[in-house]
Amino acid sequence: MTDATLALPSRTPPVRQTSTMVFLASLAVFAVIVTILAQQGVISTSFVKTLGKTLCLCLAAVAMDVVWGYTGILSLGHMAFFGLGGYAIGMWLMYARTEALVAPGLAAQPIPPTPSELQDAIGSQIFGVVGSSDFPLIWMFADSLFLQMAMVVLVPGVLALVFGWLAFRSRVTGVYLSILTQAMTLALALYLFQNDSGLRGNNGLSGLQNIPGFEDAPQSAISLAFFWASAVALALGYLLFAWVVSGKMGSVLRAVRDDEARVRFLGYHVESFKLFAFVLTAVVTGIAGALYYPQAGIINPAEIAPIASIYLAVWVAIGGRGRLYGAAIGAAFVSLLSSWFTGGGAPDIDLGVYTVRWTDWWLVLLGLSFVAVTLFAPKGIGGLVDLLTEKRRPERQGDYGPDKGAKRSEEGVE
Amino acid sequence: MRLLEVDGVSVTFDGFRAINNLSLSMGEPELRAVIGPNGAGKTTFMDIVTGKTRPDSGRVIWGEENRNLIGLSESSIARAGIGRKFQKPTVFEDQTVRENLAMALKARRDPFAVLFRRSDMPARLAELAEEIALTEHLTRKAGELSHGQKQWLEIGMLLAQEPRLLLVDEPAAGMTPAERTHTADLLKRLAQTRAVIVVEHDMEFVRRLECKVTVLHEGRVLAEGSLDHVTKNQDVIDVYLGR
Repeated sequence: MTDATLALPSRTPPVRQTSTMVFLASLAVFAVIVTILAQQGVISTSFVKTLGKTLCLCLAAVAMDVVWGYTGILSLGHMAFFGLGGYAIGMWLMYARTEALVAPGLAAQPIPPTPSELQDAIGSQIFGVVGSSDFPLIWMFADSLFLQMAMVVLVPGVLALVFGWLAFRSRVTGVYLSILTQAMTLALALYLFQNDSGLRGNNGLSGLQNIPGFEDAPQSAISLAFFWASAVALALGYLLFAWVVSGKMGSVLRAVRDDEARVRFLGYHVESFKLFAFVLTAVVTGIAGALYYPQAGIINPAEIAPIASIYLAVWVAIGGRGRLYGAAIGAAFVSLLSSWFTGGGAPDIDLGVYTVRWTDWWLVLLGLSFVAVTLFAPKGIGGLVDLLTEKRRPERQGDYGPDKGAKRSEEGVE
Repeated sequence: MRLLEVDGVSVTFDGFRAINNLSLSMGEPELRAVIGPNGAGKTTFMDIVTGKTRPDSGRVIWGEENRNLIGLSESSIARAGIGRKFQKPTVFEDQTVRENLAMALKARRDPFAVLFRRSDMPARLAELAEEIALTEHLTRKAGELSHGQKQWLEIGMLLAQEPRLLLVDEPAAGMTPAERTHTADLLKRLAQTRAVIVVEHDMEFVRRLECKVTVLHEGRVLAEGSLDHVTKNQDVIDVYLGR
């Protein structure tokens, strides 16, 4: 038994883990079925977009699970990175599309326009709503798809690096860190709401569903293309994170979650590991946002309001944190259910004296289920998988012996 | 050969002087017992050496290069070769014995080295598991182990770190007489190849270690020498043994 135990690799590589295999296979089957149904006209283009957006939210939730469920950093600001990714790609989409609209008109004039005239025309078209026509400095790369795609990665990455470095270095943990991340996303949203922020204030960026260069392609084709791009991004992101949280890295991250001080005395620089998880997940969340907003068609600062990041944490909690597929299931389940309830899909309940309208009451229901899951099923929906596979794991908050041990009953409490 | 030199260290917490101009020198190899009544500054002394507490003044000089450890982070001090055993067994309960040991194994500790290095040195692991008698339990979660097994796992993790100096906090607390004998033997064996500081207030256990003793009182070294020597010291009798 001894030799057999040691001959095993310390952890199975992600592609050979059953859960990763099952997840990727189900995702592939789901994508194929949606494609067939969409081409048969069974499901509408707008529903394909909803599903594609849901896959992006799943990717953000998987990233959230790595930073919260595995590393123990309850970040309530990750949707800021999602929004920044959306803004970064939205700037190119808007610039290129406006250029395509404005250029033919100018070219038809007797005197061909100079580059600066063209620039001014695009500028007044984009910034007319906020009473300006000049391009702010942050738009300097907007004409280049490649550079804006780099921004999708760099802007969330650098923000997470700077914020995380300052916060982790000062050893801000637990609920204080959560509040700080809320402050970050709120400050960013408030800044972007201003007209002179350079990103069209509360109008945000719009018309993002029109992809420059594909003006003739029908939205049904574009929606399917984005749906597939989102599915591939989710698959790749899932594989990346499954790889990160397997092996020694996963071991150290979970150790940081359970007993930070002990990890320090083992010689690991805890702050670097937290920063690694924070920045990597921020970058992936940014990419998810860059795929989400072309499908949504519009992004405005309300998208990165503090509540958005709280929803993300709720999805992960309901889906089951500490397991990647749990986060994805939670995000898909709750966000689809949410659009069903708020979109008028659920019938109103007439109580005679009072009519329960789900558009109003959905949030109450969500809040109650969040409390219920936290209290009665801390493993979330993902915990059901354990029932199926009869896998008995020790309780995370269990008491194992004379001492309570290294596990803490609350996240991040010293 | 001198490995660690604590030189004139003082630390004050809210006006209370926990460590007052403390000096202490450790050779390699050496076994040392640090004793003293409650509040003598034993734990604070360990906190200073491991980087958890930063003293107001003084120096902690380490190794051949005479590096000052004051101001370094806990993790850099641990990487420099100082291991710490807590009184309570602190292992990562949610992870297997194997994962616990693999994490402690001496290897590069920066995130990218950890991320890309996938092998956990099975040969070294097997050797360690054998030594702490947990070979049969490698795939079990540490949380499922008994109290004694957790203690052994933590000792295994310390050995895996290959420290040059080991700080051990009250190893005999809550142990049966048989376990005490066993632990004393282990500490003596470990001290043949490295420096070991045992913080303890159980005199009977200290006697078994048969080593030089440093008596702390009110944050200062009160007496130093063999156990028989310090127990004859009138100051020591007054503050500690006389009670």
